[in-house]
Amino acid sequence: MLGLSLALFGAALAAALAGIGSAIGIGVAGGAAAGVMTEDPNKFGSCLILQALPGTQGIYGLLIAFFVLNKLGLLGGAGAVDLTWNQGLQILASCLPIAVVGWYSAIWQGKTSAASIQMISKKPEAMGKAIILPAMVETYAVLALLTSILMLMGVQVG
Amino acid sequence: MGVARLKKAELYYHKSVHEEIAAALQESGACQIISTAEENSAPPSEIEALISQTDDKLSDIRYLSRTLTPHYVDPIPALDRMLGERPEVTMPELAELSSQTDLKKICEQVRGIEHETGDVRMKLSEARMNVSLLSSLGFFQYPLSVITEGTRTLTGLVGTLKAENVNGFRAVLGDFSQYSQETELVIAPYNEKDKAQEVYAALIYSRSIESEVRELCAKNGLSIIDVPSVFTGTVDEEKEKYSASITELEAKEQELSAKISEAADTYVPTVQKLSDYYVSLSGRYNEMARSYETDCTMLTKFWVPTSKADELKQKIEEISTDIELVMSNPAPDDEPPSLLNNGNTVRPFNILTELYSSPTYRGIDPTPLLAPFFWIFFGMCLGDAGYAIVVFCTILYVFRKYKKIPSGVKEFIRLFLFCSVSTFIYGVISGSFFGNFIDSFVPVLIPLKNSLMLVDPMTNPMQVLGISLLLGVIHLMFGLLIAAYDKLRHGEFINALGNDISWFLLIVGLCLFGVGLGGMLPPHFVQIGQGMAGLGAVIIFLYAGKGEPNFFKKIINGFLALYGSTSYLGDILSYSRLLALGFGSAVIGMVINLLGGLAADIPYVGWVIAIVVIVGGHIFSIAINILGSFVHPLRLQYVEFFGKFYSGGGEPFTPLTLSQEFVNVKA
Repeated sequence: MLGLSLALFGAALAAALAGIGSAIGIGVAGGAAAGVMTEDPNKFGSCLILQALPGTQGIYGLLIAFFVLNKLGLLGGAGAVDLTWNQGLQILASCLPIAVVGWYSAIWQGKTSAASIQMISKKPEAMGKAIILPAMVETYAVLALLTSILMLMGVQVG
Repeated sequence: MGVARLKKAELYYHKSVHEEIAAALQESGACQIISTAEENSAPPSEIEALISQTDDKLSDIRYLSRTLTPHYVDPIPALDRMLGERPEVTMPELAELSSQTDLKKICEQVRGIEHETGDVRMKLSEARMNVSLLSSLGFFQYPLSVITEGTRTLTGLVGTLKAENVNGFRAVLGDFSQYSQETELVIAPYNEKDKAQEVYAALIYSRSIESEVRELCAKNGLSIIDVPSVFTGTVDEEKEKYSASITELEAKEQELSAKISEAADTYVPTVQKLSDYYVSLSGRYNEMARSYETDCTMLTKFWVPTSKADELKQKIEEISTDIELVMSNPAPDDEPPSLLNNGNTVRPFNILTELYSSPTYRGIDPTPLLAPFFWIFFGMCLGDAGYAIVVFCTILYVFRKYKKIPSGVKEFIRLFLFCSVSTFIYGVISGSFFGNFIDSFVPVLIPLKNSLMLVDPMTNPMQVLGISLLLGVIHLMFGLLIAAYDKLRHGEFINALGNDISWFLLIVGLCLFGVGLGGMLPPHFVQIGQGMAGLGAVIIFLYAGKGEPNFFKKIINGFLALYGSTSYLGDILSYSRLLALGFGSAVIGMVINLLGGLAADIPYVGWVIAIVVIVGGHIFSIAINILGSFVHPLRLQYVEFFGKFYSGGGEPFTPLTLSQEFVNVKA
């Protein structure tokens, strides 16, 4: 059963690390948003959008975790597939891109979002640019997600 | 299509009609005033007086809206307001309303209530402070007048000291009292273990030793508290008195707050209307103040779109006969503002260009160029037929219900209406309907779904990755061709060849070469690809060394330029996000269906939970995925596509218009 444990460890890392990153990122951005809204509560809408941007990494992590669980047959009562320790390790490796990049990119995206929120507090008309700057950071989370997905699809189990 | 042509208008008129002219220009909503007055010169005298009048009214209105709005409950929900469901008024009606409303009187009334409230609050906080002080003095049994007034021979003080110092203080006081007159110390009950606790103490002593006692207190850690001189009875009596006054004041405060809410209900609708009216007037006069004046006439210059010029001319000539309106095309050294003028289909995409930066007047409008790509990319990222139907129907419902949506908001909503169509198409060809809803719950439809599928990202992601990257190459090459066209238009043939066409040849050549080698194209494409890439590389190499006299530097510059091809590699790979995001929405949908399916197995209530999970989950998924599907294709436009040919930098056309912050104002 070592294979199954390794694979589950990978799924846990993907959901947990990317989730932690998103939580920190959203927290940082939320602090800035709250500060801006004390001056102008009408900015709630745009602040919320900017605050939500670093949240996607957590979702990507969750997505990979589900992907793994599905691959292992742990969802929906079919029973777990048999895994060699080597296959388990392969799945664990496949989870690492989104786990690590999701974690770090969400934190930095949160910082960029916070800066963007500061920017729209002074220049509300620059909302378009304010959204793009954090999205530049997210690119690498998207690439990591893609890498994880492609790796997972390549791993043969069962 | 593209940037609207503008006319530069010069309007000469007699001062007697300047107000009518100003109103006509503003109500047309098509004129951007150009400054004709010299910098720092005073505005024409007629207008100066009007400006100060409006400013006066505006300051009253701002005061009222700042004070009353927090107490006002808007009967119109915020969403309805945003979608244009607001009172409709005309400018003459507003003028009438303004003449009937005595703003000064309302301000006075509101200020009165505000002052009274402030007063009551101050008294209230004082009374609360007194009660809290009295509560700590509960240990003191004599009337408080002993401390605040004293008797003929005695007086007293109240203070606090740390619990650990109490015994020390007692001892010192005892010593002091032995060779001086008697003193009496009363200490509030306290907990001996908590040494840092502040303990209240009262001390009564003969008037004759007042200064010695005070000195002794200061030295031994008893800090004296001021007791308000109004305290004369016992603690309990005073407390009762103030508690009664607190109840009374609280009632009064409530009454005042009801009064101000009532004032808000009565006046805020009027104040909002007048706010729009005076903000319009203030804008009008401040803009017109940039006119040039002589003794009897004024000259106002402005930009007006060519399409609206005739209509405007007709309107102005109706005002008076003593008017001269000269319209001319912009001179070569003019920098006119830019107004995007696109047809019905492209117009919703204007906002994407404007969010980045408006084009210059003579520049290229990238909107029609980016529109089809954004449409496709959005569809691939959201990529779900079910989500598309939800978005489409919601928007249709909004359009049916709200008939007065402001044009900016309406165009933005139409953008999503358009994109829901591409989302539907991609959803059908990739077999995604609320994730894998069909496979999970409606197996009857599986054959239908499968027969419509052209790509399958779930089992063959490499195919969709290839399509994404191919779209990326097309997008980038299109950008290069636009850049080349723009340079050729300005006669810069060499630059177009060296900067844009060369890279186009190199990259298209490499792609043909690669695809040909992969056996997907007839073999002679390999040679064509080789030739194109080689030619492109040579041009890049030569162009980079152009103008560099030193032969070795020429060569180094050439190689450095070729090394720049890595940035194109990065640009193209960046389009892999189309696969990833489309994949993301499909898998999130799948996960929601899976959870719903698991919940359905719970006995009795399972189906309720399943419905909640599936409906709620998909709504969440739509919201989060629309955000991603908007932001990422937009980034591809801004960074990858615009990077090749577009930098914006134009001044957007901002005509003088009526303010419509709170109500819909018609001329």
